[in-house]
Amino acid sequence: MLAGGQSLLPMLNLRLAEPAHLVDLGPIPDLGFVRRERDRLVVGATARQSAVEHSADVRALVPLLAEAVEHVAHPPIRHRGTVVGSIAHASAVAELPCAALALDARLTLLSADGVRTVDAEEFFTGPFSTVARSDEIVAQVEFPVAGPGTGQAWSEFSLRRGNFPVAGAAVSLTVADGRIVDVSIAVCGVADRPVRARAAEQVLRGAVADEETVERAAAATTSGLAPRAHGDLAAHILPVSAAPVPGWAYRASVARAQVRRAVTTALTRAGGTR
Amino acid sequence: MTQTDIPTDVPVATAPAPMAPHKDLKWIGRSVKRVEDPKLLRGLGRYIDDVVLPGMLHAVVLRSPHAHARIVSVDAERARNAPGVVAVLTGPEAAARFAPLPDSGPAPDKHVWRVLAADKVRYVGEGVAVVVAETRYQAEDARTLIDVTYDLLDPIVDPLEAAENTDDLVHEALGTNVAYERTFTFGEVAHDFATADVVVRDRLRWGRQTAHPLDTTAAIGDYDPGTGEMVVHTNSISMTWLAFGAAVALGIPSNKLDLRPYISGGSFGSKQFCWRSTVTAAMMSKITGRPVKYVEDRLDHQLNGDQHGSDRYYDVELALMRDGTFRSLKIDCVDDYGAYIQFGVGSHGNALAQVTGPYRITSTEYRVRAVLTNKTQQGAYRGFGADAGNWALERIVDKAAAELGMDPVDIRRRNLIPPDAFPYHIPSGNMYDSGNYEPVLDHALERFGYAGWREKQALMRAEGRKVGIGIVTANERSVYGATEFWFWFDDKDVPVKTTSTPEGVSLTVDTVGNLTVTLYSTPFWGNSSDTVAAMLVAEEFDVDPADVTVVHHGTKGGLPAAGPGGSRLTVMLAGAVTGAAKKIKDKLLRIAAHDMEVDEADLEWVDGGYQVRGAEDARRSTADLAMLAYLVKTALPAGEESGLAANFVYDHPHLTMPKPDRSDLGSFYPCVGHACHLVAVEVDPETGAVDILDYVAVHDSGTLVNPRSYDGQIVGGTAQGVGTALSEELTYDAGGNPQVGTFWDYLIPTALDVPEVDFGHEQTPSPITAHGIKGGGEAGRLMAPGALSAAIDDALRDHGVRVTELPATPERIVGWLRKEET
Repeated sequence: MLAGGQSLLPMLNLRLAEPAHLVDLGPIPDLGFVRRERDRLVVGATARQSAVEHSADVRALVPLLAEAVEHVAHPPIRHRGTVVGSIAHASAVAELPCAALALDARLTLLSADGVRTVDAEEFFTGPFSTVARSDEIVAQVEFPVAGPGTGQAWSEFSLRRGNFPVAGAAVSLTVADGRIVDVSIAVCGVADRPVRARAAEQVLRGAVADEETVERAAAATTSGLAPRAHGDLAAHILPVSAAPVPGWAYRASVARAQVRRAVTTALTRAGGTR
Repeated sequence: MTQTDIPTDVPVATAPAPMAPHKDLKWIGRSVKRVEDPKLLRGLGRYIDDVVLPGMLHAVVLRSPHAHARIVSVDAERARNAPGVVAVLTGPEAAARFAPLPDSGPAPDKHVWRVLAADKVRYVGEGVAVVVAETRYQAEDARTLIDVTYDLLDPIVDPLEAAENTDDLVHEALGTNVAYERTFTFGEVAHDFATADVVVRDRLRWGRQTAHPLDTTAAIGDYDPGTGEMVVHTNSISMTWLAFGAAVALGIPSNKLDLRPYISGGSFGSKQFCWRSTVTAAMMSKITGRPVKYVEDRLDHQLNGDQHGSDRYYDVELALMRDGTFRSLKIDCVDDYGAYIQFGVGSHGNALAQVTGPYRITSTEYRVRAVLTNKTQQGAYRGFGADAGNWALERIVDKAAAELGMDPVDIRRRNLIPPDAFPYHIPSGNMYDSGNYEPVLDHALERFGYAGWREKQALMRAEGRKVGIGIVTANERSVYGATEFWFWFDDKDVPVKTTSTPEGVSLTVDTVGNLTVTLYSTPFWGNSSDTVAAMLVAEEFDVDPADVTVVHHGTKGGLPAAGPGGSRLTVMLAGAVTGAAKKIKDKLLRIAAHDMEVDEADLEWVDGGYQVRGAEDARRSTADLAMLAYLVKTALPAGEESGLAANFVYDHPHLTMPKPDRSDLGSFYPCVGHACHLVAVEVDPETGAVDILDYVAVHDSGTLVNPRSYDGQIVGGTAQGVGTALSEELTYDAGGNPQVGTFWDYLIPTALDVPEVDFGHEQTPSPITAHGIKGGGEAGRLMAPGALSAAIDDALRDHGVRVTELPATPERIVGWLRKEET
């Protein structure tokens, strides 16, 4: 299934994938939309990342998505790559699946048999694997529009600008009367899929977010996660076995730092205390 | 700027007496746009992959998936019958029909290097068979149909273990995995160490890296079965003088082989020789009788190119006095050469050319063990061993400064060779022709604002920021003599001979005075040989470089030419063009004097012609005289040949023989430039990221030819040095599997990661070359790793972190911080 070709074409080029049939979504009309539907921003299957990146609506309505997209690869790739394709590809280190998870995005799966919707949290089942059946496409993804008092931020560290991050953090939080009333944090690069940092969220929820609390939240980021072996991690990044990816302990420490940075930025943007 | 005297020892080769720099240089020293630009920038350059010959076939190579295995059988029947396939050649078949590749290593018969593996595979990626088909797609599809049966052997991966291991061998015939071992002692090392106040020791690791030009290595073989002549179109950068090596491998008389040069998107050493691509394409053309194109894809290049760089483990000791004065240096190095050793230990010969850097160090011991393992063989990568050598020396200098509590600038300044000591012979014997190092240091300090940066650093550190400043003062030897490849082999029974690595050009003035220069080395490969040659011709004849035509001659019937490498070509072309121009101008003078009926002594060269001194209107332009030379025999002096052309072969400017006992290696890399790089970085202790805040590079490569393109060399080399220091690494797992395949994981810095470099120049002319030029092609990469390492140390000095392993990746930096904390 070819959307923008961001992941599939390199695999074809390296002869890592030799599909018997290739379905190009590109010519299908009316799938390239980016539009607001009530309290949701909806992105169609073939909407390019660059379209989302440069949309003033997206920046105003779902700033986390706009910021995360900016970190995806390089401009020429974003001109071809699609937001939905990246989420459907379900890389454990990519920005957009992680942002979708933090944003509680909802995916619409379409097949000849009908339509169903799946929450991001249920969608990702492992490295490059999702609940989508082989006869389904992800037709669109809906992101909740950020409400008043909400601050969002993406923070990542990559070994070279434009690369997949070593680890990244997506944060959306809402501040009211000086307290964090709602918070959602997802991290990538530390498991076989993007994961919610529930323990970190718990530290922050209801708290007055001072520096020490943020630090504690960051420290809790990876508490529930199992360390992973080098080869295991590599398989989650590329469909090849041997790449010299950074080790898990390092990734985890980078993830904690990114959570602290993203939460701090999100708090500032929410107008909350620090 | 003063020129120093030429030393008195009797050289094997010297250039003609260097011409004094012209009083008013018109072109040399001026930033001019490349004469190659109009074609390159409009996509009209015609790189090797653009070349399509009628009936051309396409070759791909099947590569070993195993690091070490015996080849039991290769069954290519299915592939031979696949659609579009014209021929398949297996390793055993190739070994029966073609000779081994040229190999300048020790005992080449004991580690035989072939275009395809014949008996066993020795690294992942080694070629096992070639498939030739009508299209590349068909060839790649058919490649998957070849069945190879392997008998797996234990992989030999760790060079330190391999050196001691005599059971598992990369080459059984060698009886050991140590291809070469040698300890040189230059001067009174034991005495100097015994009488020194302090000995500083360090253990260092220089990781394996590789060049990645824009285009990979490629060749098109075009065999004419009628004449038996083979033309190979190639982007190799090594031309006429060693082409006979490919002829031997192919079983073709050398005068029936013509290697035709093409522009390339960079080499950085990776296109030095390129025997395998040349032989792969040519042998398949010989077999099929049709042109065959072989273009490495990026994986071929990464896994099986000839460009992997040094892979070294160093133990370094520096003996010095408490006031910071250096006395003696000991280096013990294990180098992991991979499965073959095509250039011998030349990269250590290279390091020995400037082993003591810009410093007065009176004695040196150098031990090298060249170890073979189941990895891709080393080739040449910009710096060719002196890159690692410079880094190791600068690391120990920084450690000495730290241990003595000295400023890294002060300890360097104290030990720089003073200007009146040139020509200077370092302990290993190489001569540094000229130098004036302190002005380079002062220029760099001022340009960088060293004192100001130290203040800024203190303020930033007070805010908790990890900011560091690093410096290197290091040399760049240039214009190699081939001694670095052979001084190792001093078998008493083999009489020692040497080559001067000569470079020839032909210069023609046509009937109306237009100039054509023919080069026998490669055209544009990132550096602009056409521009250099055109500028040099323009300088001699007072024309515009854009009006000089540059022709590239193939190897057949060519003058000697060694191509770029060892930062030689600009200097060598300068010598050759100057020599050829002199021949032509002498003839013009004779014709002018005869035609004007004046004494030669009464004529002077002014603005493109000869005129009578003091009489501006009594003159003959080059065009006037060319017309006579071609068309008016009666106007020529008696016995003067018609026409106006000259060949000139420029020999190495200064080459002396090593002593028989190798207590002195002679002078073989004498044009020695100098540079100072200063860098400020900030390290993020949480991620290990290194952010380059400021970067200054001041270089002295003698007389500048084209500052604009030289700055390009510096920034490109510095970018590669940034990759060397921070991100690029070819790693292998315990099974000998390369862990890096694509640019997803081999992290070459992009334009977004490379700092703006602020350049400065000093010019201390060489006393032994035309116009006083020195080479400068490797300079940035010879300096940047040391500067960045020092800056990271400085940033993390409160944590006791020192960079002892490159690349200093973010993960390594975080690991070092943790280790020091616990």
